[in-house]
Amino acid sequence: MLAVARSLLVRALTLTGVLLAVLVLLVLSLGATGFSDRLLEAQVNEEVRGFRQSLSQTVRDPAAVERAVVERQTELEGFYGLDDPWWVRLPPMVFRVLTLDLGEARTVRTSEGSYEISDIVLDRLPYTMLLLTTSTIVTAVVGIAVGTRMATRVGSRLDRVLAYVASISFAIPGWWLGILLIVVVSFRLEWLPAGGMYSTPPPEGGFARALDLAHHAVLPILTLVPVSVGPYIYSVRTMTMTVAQEDHVLLARAKWLPQRRITMRHIFRVAAPPIVTGLLFGLAGSLSGSILIETIYNWQGMGRLYFEAVSGTPDEGLIVALTFVFTLLYVIIRFVLDVLYVLLDPRVRY
Amino acid sequence: MTDEHQRPRPPADPPATAEIQPAAEPLTLSGRAVRRLLLNSGSGRASLALFALMLGICVWVLATYPPNFGNDRWSNPVVWADNPKVAPPVWTNALPGVDRVEHQVDALDQPVEIRTIPAGEVRVYESGFDFAGGEAPSFLSLSLNGVSFSGRPPVVIATLIRPDGAEINLVSIPITAARPGETQPIRRFYETPERVVLTTGDAAARAITTAYQQTYPGVPAPNLAERLNVALFARPDADAPNGWALLPGTYRMRVQVVTADPATEVAPIKVVWGGTVFGWMGTDNLGRDLLEGLLFGFPLALAIAALASLLSTAIGASLGVLSGYAGGMTDAVIQRLSDIVSNVPTLPLLIFLVFVLGSHLWLIILVLVAFSWPGLTILVRSMVLQVRAGQLVEAARALGASRRRIMVRHVFPQVAPFIIAQMIFFAPGAILAEASLSFLGLGDTSTPTWGQMLEAGFRTGALYVGYWWWVLPPGLLIVLTAIAFMLLALAMEPIVDPRLRRQR
Repeated sequence: MLAVARSLLVRALTLTGVLLAVLVLLVLSLGATGFSDRLLEAQVNEEVRGFRQSLSQTVRDPAAVERAVVERQTELEGFYGLDDPWWVRLPPMVFRVLTLDLGEARTVRTSEGSYEISDIVLDRLPYTMLLLTTSTIVTAVVGIAVGTRMATRVGSRLDRVLAYVASISFAIPGWWLGILLIVVVSFRLEWLPAGGMYSTPPPEGGFARALDLAHHAVLPILTLVPVSVGPYIYSVRTMTMTVAQEDHVLLARAKWLPQRRITMRHIFRVAAPPIVTGLLFGLAGSLSGSILIETIYNWQGMGRLYFEAVSGTPDEGLIVALTFVFTLLYVIIRFVLDVLYVLLDPRVRY
Repeated sequence: MTDEHQRPRPPADPPATAEIQPAAEPLTLSGRAVRRLLLNSGSGRASLALFALMLGICVWVLATYPPNFGNDRWSNPVVWADNPKVAPPVWTNALPGVDRVEHQVDALDQPVEIRTIPAGEVRVYESGFDFAGGEAPSFLSLSLNGVSFSGRPPVVIATLIRPDGAEINLVSIPITAARPGETQPIRRFYETPERVVLTTGDAAARAITTAYQQTYPGVPAPNLAERLNVALFARPDADAPNGWALLPGTYRMRVQVVTADPATEVAPIKVVWGGTVFGWMGTDNLGRDLLEGLLFGFPLALAIAALASLLSTAIGASLGVLSGYAGGMTDAVIQRLSDIVSNVPTLPLLIFLVFVLGSHLWLIILVLVAFSWPGLTILVRSMVLQVRAGQLVEAARALGASRRRIMVRHVFPQVAPFIIAQMIFFAPGAILAEASLSFLGLGDTSTPTWGQMLEAGFRTGALYVGYWWWVLPPGLLIVLTAIAFMLLALAMEPIVDPRLRRQR
């Protein structure tokens, strides 16, 4: 038990390290490139200009206006910390972000009208999770069912075909498959909506709305599953096959145990931990993939939010906050995965 | 979707020894063995064929394209002004549906006739165009590429002669006379050609209306002011549902240069009958020939793949060998570091870094490399641990070989085949990652990659109005290139995994 706790502690420390490393990287790239300075200067200039305009309407003397403007400018620079170098100014920002105080977005807001980034993230996160969990479950069911079956046919013609399918599935960018599906399924066949989350106008009533959401989610999920299921089938097949060739399975066969028992107790029990982690790992990875998939389907989740922050007039505060949130989510999923791994595999000892 | 931007990694600790087979039998990587392996498997042959094709295209592109293709040509609207916008490829005419018009560009260098008039001479140039109907040409344009003269400036008059006999005076281009201080002969338009689109403007609209009234008196003239390209190639038809019908036949564009000075020189005049289909791959919304961009994508994609996977593999493998062989503190530091880096979510950080540091292709590659080495380090380390315990290394150590010598001469060769296979396996990931970044609009615009072409198509909504020739081919080529690498990796698999070698 102590060993388990210790190994989990090591993982927790590593993942905290990841979080810190990413934050340090954010600060370094924002500060050392002068990006943060430029950003704040632009903001100060903006406010100073507004101040000058409002002042010039009431005060007649241009010299007095000028004095007040200069005063206001130094005041603002002090307020934003521009008179400090970035390595003094940015660390407090990191601590602020660490406490999930993410600041405000410039243009994006929630349906209730809040500009708070943490509100926006909470607003969007469930939609991303809906896509990711559903597609992960489908991938798991298909991958495990097909992969374990393929493991008994290694070297067969079907196995070779599967290898090709897996590599094609790996080589297809998910977002391009999405484009294909939009062109064919939405525009040619007109079976499913091409994007968005609800019909316009959205249907009345909770159940009808949920159905509408599900209807819009079909195509994104149909895009997410094929690109992940191929490699997954292949890795399930390889892991099962490797275990099946081990000595303890040979022994079980020698003992003339029933095939079913061998498969369940001697092969699956051993192969299960890497199979499960492989799947969860895919989930963590598809968190990044969702940026592109949500973008093409105009799915108002975290990924689309990131795209909106980068494109057009970029919102730097939002980008920093989102990079952090993505890292945080990723780290959390990884930790859950480690706990699961330890629970599943009694042999794990560091 | 798995994380496309990183190597397939083993599940978290403990390393999945299942994936890594110890060198059960000595791994060989002789040229002959590899060649036999590649030629004997279907995937090997297919990948070799694909690579031969792609390398051939690369050589051709590098030999024929201008050095700064991205900025000077691809992103320069002037180059593409005379192409039809969003025109599908020519071969779509073979499909059932409307017969579209092929693009025709004529450079008129010899006058068909020179008439002498009291004030000087008239040089007559002509360009013919066979119009089959179906769909009106997208535009008609005339470009003067250079005129040099002395004394009074010449005048250029363009007239369209239609199969119904109507002659429509579309434009007369005045040429600026000598400015004070300019020396004779005066040269005009050599630097920037004078391009006149004949299917826009009030003068052209009036000329067409007049011609309609003269040729078809009594037939109500349709309102085609907004669509002069249709009006030029149609006739009023009271019976047709919209009041006009296309007029097939042979059209002639007559360009007359009226000049007082017989020594006047006129560079070839370009007349463009704008098609509604263009080239092998069609055009985008700026009239860019998509074939050119698609071909240019080959060397870019291969360079990205080669550079990123070489660098990342070099770093990952050397750290892995070092970590596994040196052990102790070095090992601990490298392992902790790769643990941290391999747990970083790549795409968000890639987006962030490229956004802050700027969209440069080399930067994108560097950032990719910076986050992709740990997977290999962890794998190689666990292999090296096994190799180190082997008799070969023990013997070398007993003979007094130095640590460095053992690492380079005895440990590395045993893990090399695996490393090379991993390198090939990583290459498509680099291409896909660059494409993803470009698709988000963070691509390096001086190097137009396939991802950027896709992004342009997506951003302008080409996807939603059915411009398939714009969004499908770039993605198809990305997939094809990635598959070429995957097939190669698949063919190399027996080298890495000896069990598979025995089975076949």
